[in-house]
Amino acid sequence: MTTSPAGADHDDAMASSADRTTGDARVSVVGIGATGARAARQLASCDEVASVVLSGHGDRPDALRRSLGERASVGDPFVGAPAAVVLAGPAGTHVDLARRAIAGGAHVISSADALADVEGLLALDVEARAAGVTVVAGAGFAPGLTCVLARHLADWVDVVDEIHTARFGTGGPACARSHHEALSSKSIDWRDGEWVRRSGGSGRELCVFPDPVGSVDCYRAALPDALLLRPAFPSAERITARQAANRRQRLTAWLPMLRRPHPEGRIGAVRVEVRGHREGAAVVEVAGAIDRPAVAAGAVAGLAARWAVSGRFAAGAHGLAAVVDPAPFLHELAALGVRAARFIGSD
Amino acid sequence: MTLLRRAIAAIGVAAMIAAGLRIRGTGGTPPRTGGWRELKGPDLQ
Repeated sequence: MTTSPAGADHDDAMASSADRTTGDARVSVVGIGATGARAARQLASCDEVASVVLSGHGDRPDALRRSLGERASVGDPFVGAPAAVVLAGPAGTHVDLARRAIAGGAHVISSADALADVEGLLALDVEARAAGVTVVAGAGFAPGLTCVLARHLADWVDVVDEIHTARFGTGGPACARSHHEALSSKSIDWRDGEWVRRSGGSGRELCVFPDPVGSVDCYRAALPDALLLRPAFPSAERITARQAANRRQRLTAWLPMLRRPHPEGRIGAVRVEVRGHREGAAVVEVAGAIDRPAVAAGAVAGLAARWAVSGRFAAGAHGLAAVVDPAPFLHELAALGVRAARFIGSD
Repeated sequence: MTLLRRAIAAIGVAAMIAAGLRIRGTGGTPPRTGGWRELKGPDLQ
């Protein structure tokens, strides 16, 4: 087996987190967009959470509060000692909010997929450990579900040599803007023991996603997957991330977005490929999922928040791959309608 | 002036060729065998 989050350090941290476990937890959701609304809806209907505080711009928090009923309220996300704060707002806002949540003793679940946000969140590790709370960076569809799938596939091999992730589609408008910017920015991959930055839009590779998405050309982009996966898989020599793009998206990546993003996004998909060795033989394991990205991201963020308030994550700042027990997490995700698949046969 | 026009024309042609090469083609061949199966049962042990 490969690295596991188990260990004395992990146990101490788990105990610290477990002290906060409560059946009447209060959880705040900051950013009531396509993803935040899904996470809030899940949290308002689960047993671990007694109340959900909604925070966001415009009329959306009030509209969502009306549909969620008496367990939801609109207000300051940091008032009332929340057990966890789910950050689902625009890129660039997550680190400062996470710092405030940690100072208040709350776990942080961030759906951030921007490089700067994820780097900033992972840098809060010392503060999070000192406060005995968990900061989960990249708790969405990709990264997020990709991290859980990578951990699950890694448990099927003895040694992990390479991890390659790819994603197709976007969630809400903020996700679409992030996707557009990522394609024109420098990617960051882990390659042979060092971080390598290359131009976004380069490195075309045909990636096979679960049906009906199928085979789609994917390219390097400014994606944080390698930053999140590298600490969880120290034996991996290569960790890369790519995102799907069509010709128009590649040609216009350096321009402002020419079209208004779709408010909810359409079908999306993720794929994770783990290359390694099992009993001395080289093996390749591939898993993926399809869903509307905002729906899946909301499910992952909501479930991660529930696990955090239940004391199932170690203290510190991590990606999901470093803290999650993947099989039960995927099992619970499937119960929420987000089902993963495994590629069987040649690839 | 002629030299400048030729240089601009050459850069323009090179840019068009580069753009064509960039968007044409594909990144590989799709698999001919195999398929996706939902992760459940023993796969989630």
